[in-house]
Amino acid sequence: MVWSALQPVVNWLGGSALGVWLGQSPTRIAILFVVHLTGLTLLLGGTIVMSLGLAGVGFRSGSSAQLAREIGPWRMAGLALAIISGFLIFTGGALTYFEGQWFRRKMTLLLIAVIFNFSWFRTVTNAPDGRFGPWARRLTAGVSLLLWFGVGVSGRAIAFF
Amino acid sequence: MPVVEWLHALEQTRISEVVRESAFPYIEGTHVLGLSLSVGMIAWVDLRLVGATMRTRPVSEVYESVQGWMLAGFCLMFVTGALLFVAHATKAYESVFFRAKVAFLLLAGINALIFHWTVNHRTTSWNDAPVPPTAARMAGLTSLVLWLSVIAAGRLFAYDL
Repeated sequence: MVWSALQPVVNWLGGSALGVWLGQSPTRIAILFVVHLTGLTLLLGGTIVMSLGLAGVGFRSGSSAQLAREIGPWRMAGLALAIISGFLIFTGGALTYFEGQWFRRKMTLLLIAVIFNFSWFRTVTNAPDGRFGPWARRLTAGVSLLLWFGVGVSGRAIAFF
Repeated sequence: MPVVEWLHALEQTRISEVVRESAFPYIEGTHVLGLSLSVGMIAWVDLRLVGATMRTRPVSEVYESVQGWMLAGFCLMFVTGALLFVAHATKAYESVFFRAKVAFLLLAGINALIFHWTVNHRTTSWNDAPVPPTAARMAGLTSLVLWLSVIAAGRLFAYDL
């Protein structure tokens, strides 16, 4: 399995100086969680706005491609913040996180969401108006929302289940 | 009756018990993901006011496009937040982070109200300006900083629970 192939990397990460240093201090992790939530807010908020643009709800002036150019950099900054802080949070408790089924679900969904985002979602949002019909655009928006919120929901589940 | 006794009584209620003992993960998860609709939406208005994004769109268009989602988001946050408070009322009341969060929330609300009362987006002379005047930019920046502080204080308070 892919997961067991990753085990040596996880062991190394958890035992590294960085992993030990982060794991020692709840304060460090708490600060990283603040960054993680800030990233989540930008990423999911940006996903909602881009999905509204795709579905033709609000943001009347300009195309969805223009909206994507305006929102995209902020949304990607949110994704970067979430991934970097998330990686560090993971490093501070690597072995425990890695065992969790919700962690694994979250990472699987994240991978799918990222692939979908940079392939189909990007194609549809950047396409000139009229290239894709209203239902194709709405469906794309819906799938994108489901995937990214799915990542968020499974992330919350790590803490509780 | 002193506040602490009143909060103790609140924690004896059935609803407090249900949230504490079974519903907590779902309500807390909704509260966290609700960030995308509340802060995640108001942030676009703030960033537009600062002149950091969507410069070619009228301020009124950005505001009206997110308004409904944002209001729904803040209602969701208030309801789920109130339930979470009822579950751990005494701890919340005693936590410096919770008190800071309430203070930041009040300040963010006052900032928004002042802006709302003094500016009418639609008729204002700078509705189409790529970069609004200094007062509006300050209002946007203040809002961004306060909402980030709300997120930070909220997340740090969760560590106290």
